[in-house]
Amino acid sequence: MQLARVEGNIVATRKHPSLQAWRLVICQPIAPGGGPEGVPIIAIDSHGAGLHQQVVISSDGKAARKAVGVDKSPVRWLVVGVVDESEPGRRI
Amino acid sequence: MKLGTVIGRVTLSRGEPSLHGGRFLIVSPLSREQYAAGLEATPAMGKDPSLVVYDDLGGGVGDIIGYEEGAEAAQPFPSPTPVDAINCALVDEMFYHPWPG
Repeated sequence: MQLARVEGNIVATRKHPSLQAWRLVICQPIAPGGGPEGVPIIAIDSHGAGLHQQVVISSDGKAARKAVGVDKSPVRWLVVGVVDESEPGRRI
Repeated sequence: MKLGTVIGRVTLSRGEPSLHGGRFLIVSPLSREQYAAGLEATPAMGKDPSLVVYDDLGGGVGDIIGYEEGAEAAQPFPSPTPVDAINCALVDEMFYHPWPG
């Protein structure tokens, strides 16, 4: 699992059928210092994460396939939760 | 999923039988700077090495696609297939607002 920040979303008409009706958000992984790390990752989101909110994303393909309900889905990244605090006492 | 620009195509004369019916695209992964430039930007190479992506959606040169790498790429196939990158989505629109800091 990785801490990331939602920086946008994408719209795709032609996509794998398992992604139908799923929200696809652009998640930028966060480095320990708080800055961006690496390239953004597209994850499926069922929580309605807002722009610039911190989220936890998981690369567990099996869990993502269970979430979409299609065993033959190529999906890997999913938003598992929206972050309230990333360390005690510090609001995001 | 990651995003990349289709910069070319590969045609095979011989291939694994399980791969028949699909096409292969050469994809250059989008860098963070290219996300900010948006879909209307002139197609360009990213910083990361380009890769070959299996495609059954019909991506063309210049398109931005979402591709999945690794074990999940072989998941849509009915039998074990030697694929480690697959095109999952042809991106129509992208809304990207980088966190200002």
